[in-house]
Amino acid sequence: MRTSFQEELDRLEATLQEEGALVLRALRGALNAVDARDSDLADEVIGFDDEIDRLYVQIEQGVESLLARQTPVASDLRLVLAMIHINLHLERMADYCVTIAKLTKLAPEVDPDPHLLEGFDEMGARAEEMIRVALDSFASRNLEGAESLMQLDELIDRANRRVVEQLLALGAAPEMREYGLRMVLVSRALERIGDHAVDIGEQTAYLLTAEFREFTDASHPAPR
Amino acid sequence: MPEAKAPPVTIAEMNVQIQSAPGMEDLRKNEVVFDVDDVTVSYEGDPAISNVSLDVYKNLITAIIGPSGCGKSTFIRCFNRMNDLIPSAEIDGHIEYHGEDLYGPKVDPVEVRQRIGMVFQKPNPFPKPIYDNVAFGPRVLNMPGSLDERVQHALEQAALWDDVKDRLKRNALSLSGGQQQRLCIARALAVEPDVILMDEPASALDPIATSRIEDLMHDLKRNYTILIVTHNMQQAARVADATAFFSVDRTEDGGRTGVLVEYDVTHKIFTNPSDKRTEDYVTGRFG
Repeated sequence: MRTSFQEELDRLEATLQEEGALVLRALRGALNAVDARDSDLADEVIGFDDEIDRLYVQIEQGVESLLARQTPVASDLRLVLAMIHINLHLERMADYCVTIAKLTKLAPEVDPDPHLLEGFDEMGARAEEMIRVALDSFASRNLEGAESLMQLDELIDRANRRVVEQLLALGAAPEMREYGLRMVLVSRALERIGDHAVDIGEQTAYLLTAEFREFTDASHPAPR
Repeated sequence: MPEAKAPPVTIAEMNVQIQSAPGMEDLRKNEVVFDVDDVTVSYEGDPAISNVSLDVYKNLITAIIGPSGCGKSTFIRCFNRMNDLIPSAEIDGHIEYHGEDLYGPKVDPVEVRQRIGMVFQKPNPFPKPIYDNVAFGPRVLNMPGSLDERVQHALEQAALWDDVKDRLKRNALSLSGGQQQRLCIARALAVEPDVILMDEPASALDPIATSRIEDLMHDLKRNYTILIVTHNMQQAARVADATAFFSVDRTEDGGRTGVLVEYDVTHKIFTNPSDKRTEDYVTGRFG
């Protein structure tokens, strides 16, 4: 039994979960900043990204060292490869949180449509749920849980479409147009966070089945 | 007038080929060199390997891996009837070599060993000139043609010619360990074999000499079929097309015997083995 190798694998996986927990905090902060149009909170989210980047680099270096010294094979190899991908997906999610925070600061001071804020609330809650499901199903090696992300993604996509429709109806006043443009990007960022959660689910499925497959096929989408 | 722009190349016109890793079904397209059917080898009645069946394919490198005592060496020695030289050894089952029974009554073991050469763990050149080491087999077998050319060709194939062409009369023992092993490979090649068996051919060599032997194996498989026993799993992962994993099982009377657990393309063995025992061995959790 390669005890130190197993310990290193466990340590890396724990750090990955820690990174996931930080992403959830960043997302919550970004959503609250949009909701309250709080510029200070937005700055905090932007600064907090350094914490996530620190863990990202730590995991990258850990994986690099493990590949160089331990030459993992079979399920160990799949776990290491999955961790490389998941690490990147989490880091991208955190970048989207930063994008949301920046857009919050850039958006002009207009009275937001309450339906729109409800739409963001819904998308934010769905994105948080997807991140949790993605991380939990990876931790518990749960294929069914990972595959359930497909259905959750459909829900966040629908919410995104509703938000976009509401934004299009905001009116032609220049301030509203600018606000709408910023907010459509917020909506898009939340929707992309959901996509990255699905990608984490795909990595869990790869780890468990040794076959990589995309849960949804972008070039042949299922009928809506 | 500016020249009309050529229409862009369509995706359909682009020559893009993506090949997936070959599976066992791809290897099976090669000719079968050895058909091993339910082979058991016993020493003094105790089975060293039991009920092994597999096919070895032409122009491939097939690696045999497994923990100590799993019968890897016993198994590879069946192919050139080396076990015949051990009085207490008994072999049951069938091995066909190009469709002929390798252990049939009319088969001459000496001829078998000419067609199926062997390289051992420790380089074992004769304490004679380099030239004579390579010329030994062709002389004994009275092979036709120029002996000099035959020696040169074998040394070239073993990637040793440039190292030794100016000192062919020097004693083989003056060569480095890696050169001695390549000389042993040249000695095996000089009698124009069809198959080369290698029993831990690089385990006594340093990493540079090892990588030269591995490169050589890649070159040789174009013309030969190679079977290699190795303790070094990364070596199997690097060089072999197919890998057979042997393990140790308890026999009914409480003894131990080697069994074939899994035989598949090397990529599969090292990324997604089908049997948990293989997974435990290749990941270092057992053995």
